Amino acid sequence: MKFSLIQVQEDTVAAVDTLTKTYSKKWEASAGLEHASPMVKAAASHDLIFIVLGVSLVIWFVLLFFIVRVDKKIGKLEQEIEHPKQN
Amino acid sequence: MAIWMTGVIICGFLIPIPEIPILKESARNLFLHVPMWFTMAVCFATGLVYSIKYLNNPKLENDRKAETATQIGLLFGICGLITGSIWARFTWGTWWTFAEPRMNLSALGMMIYVSYFVLRTAFDNPEKRAKIAAVFNVFAATTIPFLLYIIPRQLPSLHPGADGNPAFSEITAPELRYIFYPAVVGFIALAVWLNDILNRYKIVKHKIEQQGT
Repeated sequence: MKFSLIQVQEDTVAAVDTLTKTYSKKWEASAGLEHASPMVKAAASHDLIFIVLGVSLVIWFVLLFFIVRVDKKIGKLEQEIEHPKQN
Repeated sequence: MAIWMTGVIICGFLIPIPEIPILKESARNLFLHVPMWFTMAVCFATGLVYSIKYLNNPKLENDRKAETATQIGLLFGICGLITGSIWARFTWGTWWTFAEPRMNLSALGMMIYVSYFVLRTAFDNPEKRAKIAAVFNVFAATTIPFLLYIIPRQLPSLHPGADGNPAFSEITAPELRYIFYPAVVGFIALAVWLNDILNRYKIVKHKIEQQGT
């Protein structure tokens, strides 16, 4: 994917080459992908951009889970204020 | 804060990044996965500070703050684990590998923190619970630097930042940093905000309980 409008820097491959050199041999990456399930294959398409999407969705859902939980707790407190327990 | 994070996410997807074989576009995960762990470390450190404060000065307020910070920290830690696992599937070729010390030790760290909350539920007396939890939290927080930063760096690993290498400094391209640092700041700010919400909830709950009795 290329976004020509903001494509400013081009000649910066050198800076990241240490990572490639160190880890390329160890990472299997998409080596066994031909045998993988169609879902995994679809996720790995388009230069792995969907992985970034997946990761952001995971964070979003975990945070959402937290917000919903706090929401429910606050709802309980509201009920207690309106109908105090008779002791 | 909201606008800041929105900007970070948009730029994180749109900026051109250098081509890195295997990682490809998933290098953008740097803006999401790594700040999770930074934020978690900040939260756990805050929890540690309040736990020590509680041991010095046994006010329930300090215990409450320690518990809240640890809860938020665990939330971000779990995010970090899941996102790491997804990323690993498509770069290392597996969801989970026991050849990877950082992955397993961070999972162990999360379990230590889960047991902090299990421990808390074991006591009905608030003072007693606060005291034991504070002592345990000091222990838990001490293990984190070793599990996450010291031991994985000494062992051979798939994760960048092993064999005595830093995880980040030389191998990260400068363009990635323009988004990475704002992302770290943004996620920490988000954590502070969540922390505040949860704390205010607990204060209100405490007040209602006191009125009720």
